[in-house]
Amino acid sequence: MKKTAIQLNDISLHFPKQRNPLAIALDFIRKNDRKFTALKDVNIEIKQGEVVGIIGRNGSGKSTLLRVISGIYPPDTGEVHAAGDISLLAGLGTGFSGHQTGRENALLYGSILGHNEDEMRQKLDEIIDFSELGEFIDEPLRTYSAGMKARLGLAVASAIHPHILLIDEVLGVGDPNFKEKSKKKILSMVKGASTVVIVSHSFGLMTDICDRVILLHHGEVINDGPPQESIKKYYEIAGE
Amino acid sequence: MDEGIVSPPVLRRIGEKSNSLFAPLSTLLEIRKNRFLVRNLVRREVRGRYRNAGLGYAWAIIEPALLALVYWFLFIMLSGNPDKLYAVWVLIGVIVWSCFSKSLNAATNSLTKNVRTIHLVYFPRSIFPVSCVGANIVVTLMSCMIILPIIFVYDMPITVHLIWIPVGVFMAGFMALGLGMMMAPFNCVSGDIEHFIRFITRAGFFVSPVMWTAEMAMERGAWGGAALWNPMVVPITMVRHGLEGKAVDLPNGIIMASIAVSITLYLIGTMVFSRYERGAVKYL
Repeated sequence: MKKTAIQLNDISLHFPKQRNPLAIALDFIRKNDRKFTALKDVNIEIKQGEVVGIIGRNGSGKSTLLRVISGIYPPDTGEVHAAGDISLLAGLGTGFSGHQTGRENALLYGSILGHNEDEMRQKLDEIIDFSELGEFIDEPLRTYSAGMKARLGLAVASAIHPHILLIDEVLGVGDPNFKEKSKKKILSMVKGASTVVIVSHSFGLMTDICDRVILLHHGEVINDGPPQESIKKYYEIAGE
Repeated sequence: MDEGIVSPPVLRRIGEKSNSLFAPLSTLLEIRKNRFLVRNLVRREVRGRYRNAGLGYAWAIIEPALLALVYWFLFIMLSGNPDKLYAVWVLIGVIVWSCFSKSLNAATNSLTKNVRTIHLVYFPRSIFPVSCVGANIVVTLMSCMIILPIIFVYDMPITVHLIWIPVGVFMAGFMALGLGMMMAPFNCVSGDIEHFIRFITRAGFFVSPVMWTAEMAMERGAWGGAALWNPMVVPITMVRHGLEGKAVDLPNGIIMASIAVSITLYLIGTMVFSRYERGAVKYL
């Protein structure tokens, strides 16, 4: 029996609709709840070593679910439990600063992703090597092309080896050559991490690497089963 | 991290809320634990500020110097010729006051400005206001370099009391941190907070000893005495007196009150921040 890596119990998450303090106060007095429900009674258990995909139409709550697991949004009801370090791979290169060199940005992004100084200094050579930036690594980031930034971002992000890896649509950056390399790298990260949750629109990839695929619709789990089954259900919903 | 995989990790609750009462302490622990991150964020902020300027970091000195010149001219025009060091006192007032006002603005806007980062990674959110204020303290200390030529030109004594200069700057930033952390979560909900803070920093400029000094206030009787209870009087006067070669020379009650206000602002600020920050990010 494998141990549980991620457990979501009755997770609901609402986003407030009102921003105006007066309107918020009025709603509060009238007990008027104007909210947008992003996740509704979500129950998911993921075992250690599983690779789980999440699919659904735009706005179905896929990214929000990953954010809840990583601690960005606290759920309004229910509890999230997880075992080990979690890292969310989304939007490569968060916090990059155009005025600093590639090397400085690698350290900055690494620290944003939760590395301490020793780890980063240790991994820096490997990161620079993988990014294929060569001498550009000591040039300011504003001189980089979009592809170069993406390469640096992926190089730093892939240097982490968490217990739980959450991936939100980061495949397919850069030129075709690097795209292939980045896909390989992410696949090797998927193999290296013990538990992976991946959000993607690439159903081919999902079928290839996922043990299970969860279909979300309007914040609810519609199907949780083998990839083919969930993908079939997705097309039923999408065609409605 | 690799060692962790060997020993199987145990299930723990994600996003568990610790008691907000411990926030003043846990904020310090978070800063300590994430010091590499804080340092990198401060560096990014400081670098970014002087990005395309040919004169670069020199602007940290030029900006307050030009401002002081304007205020000095204005004051001479309004009230005749005061103390020959008056221009220097205004310059210091401008430097320390901008440390406070810029830190306060930055801390208040620290969550709204970092939406992208907040949506994509999780780390303790107190890092945002802390690193903004840290960056402003660093810039202010760079501005304080202008004190070196002043010491030379006015032939001032070099004493141990110069140490009060960074202490005063730090105190101004610390007050801004407490107040800013109190405001940051609400600023995510409503833009009104930003306008309110902008008013505070503009009005505060006149009621704080930027264009006037504590000595001038003391000569003005009861109203002047009342003005000394402004908590910003102590940090600004501390820097001025440090340059003059003495420890801050103000009534003890006023010094104590100012220290008490800074600490209270920090305590309340961190508690409010930790209580509301999680709900507030949903508005971003």
